[in-house]
Amino acid sequence: MRAKKIKTIILVAVASILAVMFIMPLVWMIFTSFKTLGESMSSSALLPKNWTLINYINIFNGTSDAKMILWSLNTALVTALGTTLVIFVDVLAAYALARLNVAGKKLFLGIVVIALTIPGIVTLFPAFYLFRNFGLIDTYAPLILPYSAGTLGVFLIYNFLRSFPRELEEAAYIDGASQWQVLFKVIFPTIRPVVTTLGVITFLAIYNDYLWPSLVINSNEMKTLTLGVATLIQGSNFVNPGAMMASTVIATVPALLIFIWANKYFVKGVTNSGIK
Amino acid sequence: MYHSKSTKYKALLFIAPFLACFLIFWLAPVLYGIWISLNDYKLSMGNLGFVGLENYKTIFDTGSVYHTQFMNALKNTFVFMAISVPPLVLISLGLALLIDNLPSKLKVFFRTIFFLSYAISVTAVSAIFLWLFNANGGFVNNLLMTMNITNSPVNWLTEQPYAWFVVLISTVWWTIGFNMLLFVNALDEVDGALYEAADLDGANSFKKFLYVTLPEIRNVAFFVIITTVIASFNLYGQTMLITNGGPARSTTSLIMNINHTVFSGNQLGIGSAMAIVMGVIMTVVTGLQYWANLKINSDGPKRKRKGRSKKSEDPALVNAPLPYQVDGKETMKK
Repeated sequence: MRAKKIKTIILVAVASILAVMFIMPLVWMIFTSFKTLGESMSSSALLPKNWTLINYINIFNGTSDAKMILWSLNTALVTALGTTLVIFVDVLAAYALARLNVAGKKLFLGIVVIALTIPGIVTLFPAFYLFRNFGLIDTYAPLILPYSAGTLGVFLIYNFLRSFPRELEEAAYIDGASQWQVLFKVIFPTIRPVVTTLGVITFLAIYNDYLWPSLVINSNEMKTLTLGVATLIQGSNFVNPGAMMASTVIATVPALLIFIWANKYFVKGVTNSGIK
Repeated sequence: MYHSKSTKYKALLFIAPFLACFLIFWLAPVLYGIWISLNDYKLSMGNLGFVGLENYKTIFDTGSVYHTQFMNALKNTFVFMAISVPPLVLISLGLALLIDNLPSKLKVFFRTIFFLSYAISVTAVSAIFLWLFNANGGFVNNLLMTMNITNSPVNWLTEQPYAWFVVLISTVWWTIGFNMLLFVNALDEVDGALYEAADLDGANSFKKFLYVTLPEIRNVAFFVIITTVIASFNLYGQTMLITNGGPARSTTSLIMNINHTVFSGNQLGIGSAMAIVMGVIMTVVTGLQYWANLKINSDGPKRKRKGRSKKSEDPALVNAPLPYQVDGKETMKK
């Protein structure tokens, strides 16, 4: 028993050391954002000697080319609409495939499986060119719509529903409920865990996407936070680590908070998404 | 009542929204991409005519600059794969084993810490590691010089092998939590009775890992390897932003090169052909891994259990695109 206790203490110590190493880049990011230009360039200490808010002030009084407020609003709009759209189309399709007698169901499931095996790079540039042909570069459309083509969500919800008994729904039908009533009152509460997982995955995917927005967005006003940070790296902020980290903190904190909040849904859901 | 013939077509209405999105944003681009790759397409001027397989020939013509660039990018991507896949799989497994042996209250806490960087975008990761490792004013160099380990700044970003090291360490930090999580969940599912049986047989920890744990998590390990390989093919954000493909194009990845061909080179046709060739290479590599896995399965000791573990061998599930395959990590995550 005693040996086991010592073993546990050693393991916790090792885990703690690794955990400190792991969050160090984030800690460094936060502290550096409170350093002045001179100090952030020469400092070899984690904590600032002279704390300053100048990096944040410059961002919000507009003297920096970091349009953080605008980019945040763009990101909020795009992630909210994009995630809602994905959940809406995926839930309807998965429900029909799992519960209704759909014409061409086998063919459809086959297409979904094939689509999963084809690498995303194949669609990327033609999709960009299509959006350009329709004059939709620098609009919200390409930042919201294409995520709805992903088949992962249909797969997740379909598998979840298939393993769930139908008795409740059948009882509801016998009680005279309509199809829509069953969908909203019975099915939706049932699949809520998997929908939450899909929602978090989709939110983070849209929020953190860099390559696709970098193709379809040119103007500074239309950028998302993630794309905006890339511009700052390549632009004038490059010469000031403090300013760069202040922008990065603002761009990172919302996703981190949502991630921590949704952690418990996510942890099991990620496994369900691929393996089970 | 909901299985009659008329409802069979009515049910299509439920699928229609997804089908429309899928056709417009997935099938149309795939077909259009194939068409573009068969034409002399310029980004600025549009289609200059059908050329058949000419774009593909250009990629494989040893005298062509596009061939040189493509092969260089392919080589770089394989270098990245060789250096990143082993640590991403092994370290994540190590972390998962560590977490699995912690008291259950601490499990959740440490799991969250190691998984935290997953929520961060590739651009933020790049910004952080760029300024940690920048030659002039970067934190690591400041630290090394203060401690007198080096007198002059190390050119982390503009000299090899340092540049690969920085790309590697940022990638490991960014994506390892996801693999770890998959392993943690797999370890959670291993039947405790199997360990008790091994204890009775007097097995030590290492033997228990080798003969109990490993066979039980084999399918998950295979899944982790495949998704990590796919993700490393899609390397983009880190090398674009941290090393800008340098030094001397030595970290220019496949996607960076396609991007360069389309936008700087104006060659949409050749770029699309490159994307399709890249897609084919990825599919072949993934297929080979399946084949190897099946072979190991049939040659190796018959440990496969029926029921639960069978599910995970459904190829469709194993190939499911993961959230982190959407940018950099898809393209390495993401």
